[in-house]
Amino acid sequence: MEPIIRMENVNKWFGALHVLKDINLDVQKGEVVVVIGPSGSGKSTLIRTINRLEEIQKGRIVVDGIELNRDVRNIDAVRKEVGMVFQSFNLFPHMTVLENITLAPRIVRKWPREKAEQIAMELLERVDIADQAEKYPAQLSGGQQQRVAIARALAMQPKIMLFDEPTSALDPEMVGEVLDAMKELARSGMTMLVVTHEMGFAREVADRVIFMDMGEIIEEGEPDQVFSNPQHERTQAFLARILH
Amino acid sequence: MRLLKFLIVAGAALVVLAIAYVAFFAGIEAVLRWYFTATNFTASKVPNFAHNLRLGAEITIKLTVISSLTGLALGLIAGIARLSQNPLFRWPAQFYVWVIRGTPLLVQILFAYNALPFLIEPLWKLAQPWGLPPIQDVLTPYWAAFIALSVNVGAYNAEVVRAGIQAIAKGQWEAAMSLGMRPFQVMRYVIVPQAIKIVVPPLVNNVIALLKDSSLASVITLLELVHQGQRMISITFRPVEVYVAVAAIYLILTTVLTFFTDWLEREMARRGTTA
Repeated sequence: MEPIIRMENVNKWFGALHVLKDINLDVQKGEVVVVIGPSGSGKSTLIRTINRLEEIQKGRIVVDGIELNRDVRNIDAVRKEVGMVFQSFNLFPHMTVLENITLAPRIVRKWPREKAEQIAMELLERVDIADQAEKYPAQLSGGQQQRVAIARALAMQPKIMLFDEPTSALDPEMVGEVLDAMKELARSGMTMLVVTHEMGFAREVADRVIFMDMGEIIEEGEPDQVFSNPQHERTQAFLARILH
Repeated sequence: MRLLKFLIVAGAALVVLAIAYVAFFAGIEAVLRWYFTATNFTASKVPNFAHNLRLGAEITIKLTVISSLTGLALGLIAGIARLSQNPLFRWPAQFYVWVIRGTPLLVQILFAYNALPFLIEPLWKLAQPWGLPPIQDVLTPYWAAFIALSVNVGAYNAEVVRAGIQAIAKGQWEAAMSLGMRPFQVMRYVIVPQAIKIVVPPLVNNVIALLKDSSLASVITLLELVHQGQRMISITFRPVEVYVAVAAIYLILTTVLTFFTDWLEREMARRGTTA
C-alpha cells in the first residue's frame, strides 16, 4: 500500500546547524506514530516539515500523493489534508470557540455557515465541550482550550493529524482529558503523528514509536518492544532518564 | 436590517457631531471676544479678531481631520506592505518610510507647496485639454499642507502598524496557515483584528501630534491658527496676549481630542479579550 506520508532522505539545516539528517520515514494510512527524544533532537521540526511550516533543503516529502515543494498549490492542497495541534494551543483569542472552529472550513473549504456550525458542534460533542461553544478562549482552562484546538483542526476533515507536544503546557490534572480525546481519535482510524513525552499514551494507542536524537532516527518499533527492550545505547539512556 | 440600523446610528452620530462642532467653535469665538475685550484690545476690532482666530482654528481642525484619515489609510497600506514577501510591495514602502521619517516636516511642507508643482507640471499639462485648472490654483496652501501632513503622518503610522502586526505571536500565523489559510486570509481574519487593539493608542497619539504639526503650514501662508495669530500681532503689536490665546486654543483642541482617545482606548480594552 502506498504510504500516506513518505519522507525520503530529508535533510534540514538552520543556518549551519544540521537539524534533520537523512530522515527516511513512511507512515501508512491509519497508523499512529509517536515520536520521542530529548530536546533539540529535531522531533518537532520533523513533523513541522510535513505541513511545510518548516522547509527542507534536501530530500523529498510526499503527502497523500502530493509532492511537497515550492508550488503554492501543492502546499495549500497538503495543508487542507493535514491538521496540526500545537503545544501552546494557538486559538484565535478574538473569536468564540465556535468561530475558531468554523473559520477555516468557511473561508478555505467555502462551506456555508450552517454546515460549518453543524460539523463544529458535532466535533465539540466529540471532545466533550459542546457547552462552551459561545465562550472565548480566555475563559477556558488549558485542557479545554487544547480540546477546542483539536476540534478546530478536525473541522477541516484532514486525513492526517500532527500533534506537537500537545500536553506539555498543561497542568497535570488536565493532561488526561486531552489524551482521552486523542485516544478516541486514534481508535477511529485517524493517521496521527504525535510528538510527546506521554509514554502511557504511546503504550496504549501507538502502532509505532520512533526515537530521535540529534536529528537522526535512532530506533523505531512497536511500543512494547522499544520501551521494554531498546536496542540502541542512546535509546536506553533516554528511556532510563524518562521512565523512572 | 442590520445595515439600516447601522446607517441610522451613523447618521445620528454625524448630526450630533455637526451640532457639537458648530456649538464648540461658536463658543470659542465668544470666549475670544470676552478675552480680547478683557485685555483691552480696540473695542471696534475685537469681533473681527475673535472671528479670524476662530476661522484659523477651524482650518486647523479640518486639516487635521482629513490629513489624519488619509494618513491612516496610507499607514495601513504601507505598514502591511513593509511586511510583504513580495519586494515589489516591500521596497517602495520601506523607501517611503525611510525618506519621510528622515526629513523634517517643515521641509516636506515647503516641498509640497513650492517644489511639487514643478514636478507634476509635465503630467498636468498633458491633462489640461480636458479642462483642468492650472496647477497653481489646485495646489493651494491648504491642499499642499494636506498632502505633506498626510504623507508625513502616514509614514509614522506605517511603523506603528508594522510593529502591531509583528507583535502578534507567530503561533497565530502557524495555526492559521496549518488550517490551510492563505497569507491574505490570515491577515484579514486573524492578525489584523488582533493588531488593531494594539495600534489604536499610538495611532491616535499621532493624530494629536498632527494637530500641533499643522501649525507649520503657517509658513506656506495657510491661514490656520498660528498664521492668524501672527497677522493679529502685526496689527496690534501685542504678542503676549495673542500667543497666549493661540496656545490656549491648541491646548483646548488637544485636550478635547485626548478625551476622545481615552474613550477609544477604554472601549478597545472593554471589548477586547487576549489569550
